[in-house]
Amino acid sequence: MSKAIESKLLTEYYDDPHYMSFEGYTKRKGYEVLKKAFKMKPEEIVAEVKASGLRGRGGAGFPTGVKWGFLPKNDKKRFLLCNADEGEPGTFKDRMMMEKAPHQLIEGMIISAYAVNAHKSYIYIRGEYTDCLRIVKEAIDEAYAKGLLGKNILGSGFDHDMDVYSGAGAYICGEETGMISSLEGLKGQPKLKPPFPAIQGYLKFPTIVNNVETLAAVIPIIEKGADFYKSLGTEKSTGTKLFSVSGDVVQPGNYEVELGTPLMDLIELCGGLKPGRSLKAVIPGGSSAPVLTADECVDATMDYENLSAKGSMLGSGAVIVIDDSHSMVDLLTVIMHFYHHESCGQCTPCREGTGWLEKLVKGILKGSGRVEDLDLILRVANNMKGRTICALSDAAALPALSFVEKFRLEFEQHIRTQSPVRERETTSHA
Amino acid sequence: MSVEVKRKDQNQSWLLPSVLSGMSLTFGKMWGNLFNRKKMPTLNYPEEKYEYGPRFKGNHVLTVKKDGSLRCTACMLCATNCPADCITIIASEHDNEEVEKFPIHYEIDILRCVFCGFCEEACPVDAIRMGPEWQSPALNGGSFVYDIRHLAFRSELRGGIESRLDDAERHKAGI
Amino acid sequence: MLKCNINGVDLEVPEGTKLIEAFLKAEQKIAHYCWHPGLSVAGVCRLCMCEIEGNPRLQIACNTEVQEGMVASNQSEKVKETVRWGMDFHLINHPLDCPICDQAGECGLQEQYMEYGQYTPSMAHAKVKKRKVVSLGSKVVLDSERCILCSRCVRFTDEVTKTHELGIFNRGDKSEIGTFHDKPLENKYAVNTVDICPVGALTSKEFRFKQRVWYLKDEKTVCPGCSTGCSVKVYHNQEGLFRVKPEYDAEVNEHWMCDEGRGVFDWVNRQNRQSYSVNAENMEKPSSSELKLILTAQQTVEEYESLFEYLKSSNKKVEVYYWKNNPDKFDDFDNLLIRGDKNPNTKGLLETAVKHDITLNPFSGFDGFESFEGDIWFILPENKAVYPLYEQYVEKALKLENNLTIFAVPKVKVDKTKKNISILPLKTYFEKDGHFLNFNGLKRQLKPGPLQVSSALALNEWVSFVKSDDFGDQVDLLSKRKSEGFRKKNEMTQTGGGL
Repeated sequence: MSKAIESKLLTEYYDDPHYMSFEGYTKRKGYEVLKKAFKMKPEEIVAEVKASGLRGRGGAGFPTGVKWGFLPKNDKKRFLLCNADEGEPGTFKDRMMMEKAPHQLIEGMIISAYAVNAHKSYIYIRGEYTDCLRIVKEAIDEAYAKGLLGKNILGSGFDHDMDVYSGAGAYICGEETGMISSLEGLKGQPKLKPPFPAIQGYLKFPTIVNNVETLAAVIPIIEKGADFYKSLGTEKSTGTKLFSVSGDVVQPGNYEVELGTPLMDLIELCGGLKPGRSLKAVIPGGSSAPVLTADECVDATMDYENLSAKGSMLGSGAVIVIDDSHSMVDLLTVIMHFYHHESCGQCTPCREGTGWLEKLVKGILKGSGRVEDLDLILRVANNMKGRTICALSDAAALPALSFVEKFRLEFEQHIRTQSPVRERETTSHA
Repeated sequence: MSVEVKRKDQNQSWLLPSVLSGMSLTFGKMWGNLFNRKKMPTLNYPEEKYEYGPRFKGNHVLTVKKDGSLRCTACMLCATNCPADCITIIASEHDNEEVEKFPIHYEIDILRCVFCGFCEEACPVDAIRMGPEWQSPALNGGSFVYDIRHLAFRSELRGGIESRLDDAERHKAGI
Repeated sequence: MLKCNINGVDLEVPEGTKLIEAFLKAEQKIAHYCWHPGLSVAGVCRLCMCEIEGNPRLQIACNTEVQEGMVASNQSEKVKETVRWGMDFHLINHPLDCPICDQAGECGLQEQYMEYGQYTPSMAHAKVKKRKVVSLGSKVVLDSERCILCSRCVRFTDEVTKTHELGIFNRGDKSEIGTFHDKPLENKYAVNTVDICPVGALTSKEFRFKQRVWYLKDEKTVCPGCSTGCSVKVYHNQEGLFRVKPEYDAEVNEHWMCDEGRGVFDWVNRQNRQSYSVNAENMEKPSSSELKLILTAQQTVEEYESLFEYLKSSNKKVEVYYWKNNPDKFDDFDNLLIRGDKNPNTKGLLETAVKHDITLNPFSGFDGFESFEGDIWFILPENKAVYPLYEQYVEKALKLENNLTIFAVPKVKVDKTKKNISILPLKTYFEKDGHFLNFNGLKRQLKPGPLQVSSALALNEWVSFVKSDDFGDQVDLLSKRKSEGFRKKNEMTQTGGGL
């Protein structure tokens, strides 16, 4: 019953094991869209993407066509970077896309590069994804052999070179300017904005950074037209999106559905909760998104506007389902440890704040916390939010804020029952 | 304005009763002290000395740490705060990086000192205290300049007074 | 020019000005650590927050360019609260050891804390421990715990010296400044990192623990180390001179100075000085009508003026010798600040000599002086370290039989029974009035600081003594003059002896 809501636009042939090879991909109409794209003018492609309402699938959800439009209107050198540094806890869609259909990514990138007139592109793959690195490398070699990369692609007169770069395991290199720093050979730290990468990015040239899924989504837009793409999803969140559902569901995995699908339907699609368990909370957009309580989940739909109206965000589409067998204190400690470990250390509020938050939450978990610490967590998190160069500080602050605000009772209860100080007090009174 | 001068009458000009009452008080106390020494309010200084309370601001003491080294970090706040300008400190680099800085020379010119206690108040680490000792005799001028040996390790202190604040403990606690 | 309004103050700034510069120009207080006018923008301390009209988010002033008609302020409670928290984030892992820290008294954290401190600390957990007392090179010591990672020092080695010795290692709150293992911080401008460090993380080995900064007074003057003539501040107290720091001078050194220049105060301290005159009465005797004068380019223009005027007005046959220290390296330049000409006033000397029509003969030892019977005046350079032949020439001069007058800043050891030699102590650049002309003729004024040696005079003052009739009386008076404001601590008991 549930399979019906799946809307496979990108993942249509992912079940075909040959889809990852060049032959398998071309058998399934692969690189046909590229030929169509080369018949269009670059400006037409940009206009088409703009009209489709495609929004960045990496987390921030910035309209892709608009981003491309920021590039200076000249013929000077510029770069296209593919952000495959998928570090957000809970997200694993890019990995599947690269492993199952590397040529899809390459085709999407060539079309995008043609649209923005970039003659060189890099795919920045997360350091831990060694398989992806190998598969994408092989696919690029194949594409070169078949004349799909290099000089004068398919006789269109468009030259394009593509390269793969492996990250070294830093979460912050998934942030676009952090990734650019890393590619430049510098320490992977985000750069100050302005100047934005579209004006001054990689090696100080104009640069476009897009997520794997975004670049792949360009293919159906060009193939079927912006109107078709727009017909999917909601008004402001068009198209389909891959959701990486993990946590306490029967069948975790990647599911491609239209944007605007109700959250509960998505959970149902994954086989629902484990038997005998009830829903406690859902993190709808990766660990940096504020958590939703079970009550909020009921009428939540998976699109940009509904979730932001609920105070959360769609992020990278990592849906983490939490049932009543988990302690929120425990979960928050894990999340806080992650951000403490991954803060690049550039901006003071993030560098010191993430560590402080972890110490506070860990203290509560270990039983040395006090109820006042909850207010302190809120104060610290509030003062980290929006105070730094990149969004990592917000990414750490938002879950802390939402966990403590929405599950305060559970935190307080944990403090009362775990705290050795309280125990001593109660026994002495008894 | 006129002033009325009161003339002494006959009885008052006869002084003997007053003399006798005074004498009786004096001799009464004398006999009392001779036979009941415990009640005697004066001391046989210098054989006997008065002990002041521990809060008396007398001669300075430099406190020591558990390992017996000087607590002083040579921050010079005492010297800065001293209104009499009687403290001279020369700081040096310590081999132990947790100690980092210590005084190789600490002098108090006790003749300049006005015993105001500001040094004690300025000290952030309980390194200098003013103790109950109040005598500071010496035979020549130079002996009135107290150095580290005298301030921290004079025999009266029996190996040094331990400071309440210990850096090693502070470092251990991570503060 | 762009019009803007900062905290209600209207002002005009040139295009491209950062908002923080506009704040400082409008004389408004704005907290900052990582921003430095001589370096690129890092934007990491997040303290220079301000509100810009029309922008709901607070912005950092250091990375925002002023736009036409911009209205910015940092007076609202929202901004102040943010800055207070920004301060707190800086302090939660900062050790509480101001008493030991050498920066105390001129520390950015202390200053900002007075205004933006939370005063009731909310951090109750153990602090992050890092390395302490790390030697980064022969001149600089690092204390990682005190470091607030503003990255000024890193940017300095990247952008100014371009030597790239420093870097920030590790990430998050374990980040630390460090050097690459095979490359210590050894460049000729390394101590500038100590100056720009807003906290006590980087300290200079030379100055560390020598003095607390609040005991020091500063005097703005000119560095006499080479012909660049950087504007500097000399820090001193009654015990002598302790350190030199650069002072902003847009035309010469901007914000920096070389490490060599930081050591030049040493000869000013009285223990290295000629502190009394010897055989001064020689000057009163009617002397020979022939005079040979040896000088260097280390005096001020005023001194040369009065000296040359005197030489011209006296009816003597005068020959002036110009002692050049290192003619082969004279024109060297490292493209930043250091020049091979180690004299502050070469240009001044040459110009004054031309003005008074004095021929400067090159001086290369006393070889031609054997047959000479007349007087010799020998003006020794104050910075003798840059004169490699100094000792040799002085030794030779002291063996001369002529009526020799030595004007000296450094100590000159002389046999007092030799009546033909008189020595007159000179003032150093730190004590005298006057000006230098630097390598491209820029005039830089010296300001007289407190006298270190009471009997010292500047050359022009000696010349006016020589011209006057009562030279002897003047010198007597001079020897009785006391150095200003100098009282050794504990003087009374140490010198007073028995009661």
